[in-house]
Amino acid sequence: MTPDPIPVRHVPSVECRNCGAGAPVDEHFCPSCSRILALGRHGDYFAFLGLTRQLVIDQGDLDRRFRELSRQFHPDYYYNASPAERLASLERSSYLNDAYRALRNPVGRIEHLLAIEGLPPARSEEGTAKVPPALLESVFALNEELDEIRELRESGADPGQLRRRLDAARLPIEKRRTEHEAQLRDLSAQWDAGRDTSPDERKRILEALRERLLERNYITNLLASVDRETAGLGLGPGPDSSEAQSQTPRVESHG
Amino acid sequence: MGKVVGIDLGTTNSLVAYVRDDTPVVIRDASGDGLVPSVVSLDEQGTVFVGREAQRRLLTATGRTVYSVKRFMGRGIEDVRDDAEFLRFRVAGEAGGVVRITLGDRELTPPEISAFVLKELKHRAEEHFREQGEFDFEVDRAVITVPAYFNDAQRTATRDAGRLAGIEVLRIINEPTAASLAYGLDKRNRGTIAVYDLGGGTFDISILRVEDGVFQVLATNGDTHLGGDDIDRVLTELVLAEHAGTSTAGAGQPTLPAEALQAMRKAVIQAKWDLSEHERAEIVVEPAAGLPSGARRPITRQEFETLIRPIVDRTLGPVRAALADANLTPEDIDEVVLVGGSTRVPLVRRSVEELFHRTPHSELNPDEVVALGAAVQADILVSGRREMLLLDVTPLSLGIETMGGVVSKIIMRNSTVPASGRDAFTTGVDNQTAVEIHVLQGERELAADCRSLGRFRLRGIPPMPAGLPRVEVRFQIDANGILTVSARELRTGIEQQIEVKPSYGLTDEEVERMLIESFEHAEADFEARLLIDARNESEAVIAATEKSLRRPDFTALVGADLEPGELERIQAAVSAAKEAMRGDDRDAIHRRTHELNDVTRHLAEVMMNRGVREALAGKNISEIETVGSAAPPHVAGTVPGKR
Repeated sequence: MTPDPIPVRHVPSVECRNCGAGAPVDEHFCPSCSRILALGRHGDYFAFLGLTRQLVIDQGDLDRRFRELSRQFHPDYYYNASPAERLASLERSSYLNDAYRALRNPVGRIEHLLAIEGLPPARSEEGTAKVPPALLESVFALNEELDEIRELRESGADPGQLRRRLDAARLPIEKRRTEHEAQLRDLSAQWDAGRDTSPDERKRILEALRERLLERNYITNLLASVDRETAGLGLGPGPDSSEAQSQTPRVESHG
Repeated sequence: MGKVVGIDLGTTNSLVAYVRDDTPVVIRDASGDGLVPSVVSLDEQGTVFVGREAQRRLLTATGRTVYSVKRFMGRGIEDVRDDAEFLRFRVAGEAGGVVRITLGDRELTPPEISAFVLKELKHRAEEHFREQGEFDFEVDRAVITVPAYFNDAQRTATRDAGRLAGIEVLRIINEPTAASLAYGLDKRNRGTIAVYDLGGGTFDISILRVEDGVFQVLATNGDTHLGGDDIDRVLTELVLAEHAGTSTAGAGQPTLPAEALQAMRKAVIQAKWDLSEHERAEIVVEPAAGLPSGARRPITRQEFETLIRPIVDRTLGPVRAALADANLTPEDIDEVVLVGGSTRVPLVRRSVEELFHRTPHSELNPDEVVALGAAVQADILVSGRREMLLLDVTPLSLGIETMGGVVSKIIMRNSTVPASGRDAFTTGVDNQTAVEIHVLQGERELAADCRSLGRFRLRGIPPMPAGLPRVEVRFQIDANGILTVSARELRTGIEQQIEVKPSYGLTDEEVERMLIESFEHAEADFEARLLIDARNESEAVIAATEKSLRRPDFTALVGADLEPGELERIQAAVSAAKEAMRGDDRDAIHRRTHELNDVTRHLAEVMMNRGVREALAGKNISEIETVGSAAPPHVAGTVPGKR
């Protein structure tokens, strides 16, 4: 396994409950007696899957690691084992499933990276309550437009026309979202390339990633409010509503 | 250690299978029938009947016989009122508690009733192993399947039923996933599979990815109250409405005795089967109490399809939702597998084909494929073989109720199991020393709209200002999809011993008590079983014969080849066999069955020859059924080898 250049939290080793030997925290099986190890205090999904903290990953490689480890840990294969090993298998399988779910999408990877690098979560209250400064102007414009549409609807305006206005109001926000995804990709590449840069520079990248994520969550909420208005017109689902639904940030595990 | 089997505990029928020489096989009775109808009947002496015999008693001992009990598993009385009214069951139980069903003078919970079905399957398997000359024939462990969309309470109720039947439940697995194992799709390569499972009472859709022998479920959805029962209900209501129109001439609600309703149900099920093979059929209701002259109603497939289209369309919503959750479109699906008896209905097949633009797999008997998969999984668990691995998901999100009745989700739906999750909460009032934790399952925002799984209290929190304690709630779902919950206060490290009182389940004490009580139930003794076997065989032969006689093209097909008086002789033999069935004389039943077999031999040959000729002429051979063979019309003879 490649040594990690970033300081990890001080968790030197776990003790094998079977033979008492010590094992590095990232080992899954005891080096001495080869039994499955109880899950120690872990927190790093990347290390658990044998990956370095990279944001751009090969999806096929991640899937393959997940399947291989599943075959090693799954409770199906510990049916006749000792209670301690069965518990270890259950814990390791659960943890593996959580890790895979978090790392298999790009946003989940960034959120997990921020967490293990010690940044506050990007999905906190401030993500929805406080408008990110960069979005102030568009939020203001959208809210004004939505208020106006609401008034018009109550005074019995043509729903088809209002629908077209809503669709038009959606466009600039969708553009922002596309821009954001490009920025997240760009920052992710910078992080991956920046193994040798200064700690300050790395810190800057992480802060920037977090800012973008907070804005992204806000944008998702804005799109949802447009969708709600569209649905309120009673014309059936909007052209993008199903897509918007599948793009709402998935709640990741609480690792 | 005894034998290990796989069990499909179905709404309408149940089956048991095991792995023999690396191939899963269904265990059949003497007449070749693998299906055990999930029907339970108790007579006045407390003797329990299960399966075909209980099904026959539906017509004669209606108030002592119960079917479709799977619809009641893990549910509360407020959930099942509607069903119970239609099925004419008498149900009892307090609001928010487990339902009890009245059978004669007894009240039984759904797990107890299901346990009778499981015991019958266990008995069938043990007889089979004994006949195979096995020294150790006892069946003590099983994998049991449940609909993928079953919630925690329904899974737990199924596990309790296993315990009550004296079976160690190795694993609860999902029916669609089991079916994909039976198909051995991993051997074919890698790909994305949709399993569409429409059974007697439940509908499931699962989307799986198969690679390197790992069956990874990506998403699942469904409806635990949608299936063949609903089709039967629509048809029964049709007959009922027309019957009321002629006989009571709008004089209020017509109330037919339960016996007549059962006769109608039997008739519409037969017509439904006929309509899967023919363009037209007739609903023939035999005379019963309250319906002395019976009833007849011709029906075309077109009319049938118009009636049931709303039911079939209800399956499409869950299919789209599962695809969206898996981030896939119908075009991404490489293979589609059909499971469940209701997928024999042509409209169902057409709808699935239209949606996926694929011809679905149906090589394996859709009634048997789930039990075969359960047997494969049982074999994996006990043998330690590692070629295949199932990674299933939890169908519904799990969480707890927080301030304002809002659900805070801790594990999201479609998470691969085993799965864990935790979240921290706090108190809302100063010096609060206990918090009530209400565990919920479902996708809705408000606790009132989700299924309550149970409640417990975390006590012993030291008095602190509101908002200061940090209570960590931890959820763990095991590989069965069953949840355990723990909670502790983080500032003091106090972890309370907690006991979840299941909302719609049985406590351990209740299960223990039922286990003791169950010994007081007599099972049908050896002589009674021989009589039942004779009736089953006779019924199978009668059914196969009547099926041929009912064919709309019967006269055109064989009329010319029959000898004068032959048809009358066959009809007389059917009547004689039916008459014998009503009695308890086993030898008479045997004799009449053999006579019927003999008298239909020539007809069977004629139809068989026709079949061969038609096959050579490019006609569909599956339209020719055999008469005289004991195989009931809906049971396939053999199961293709898997490996």
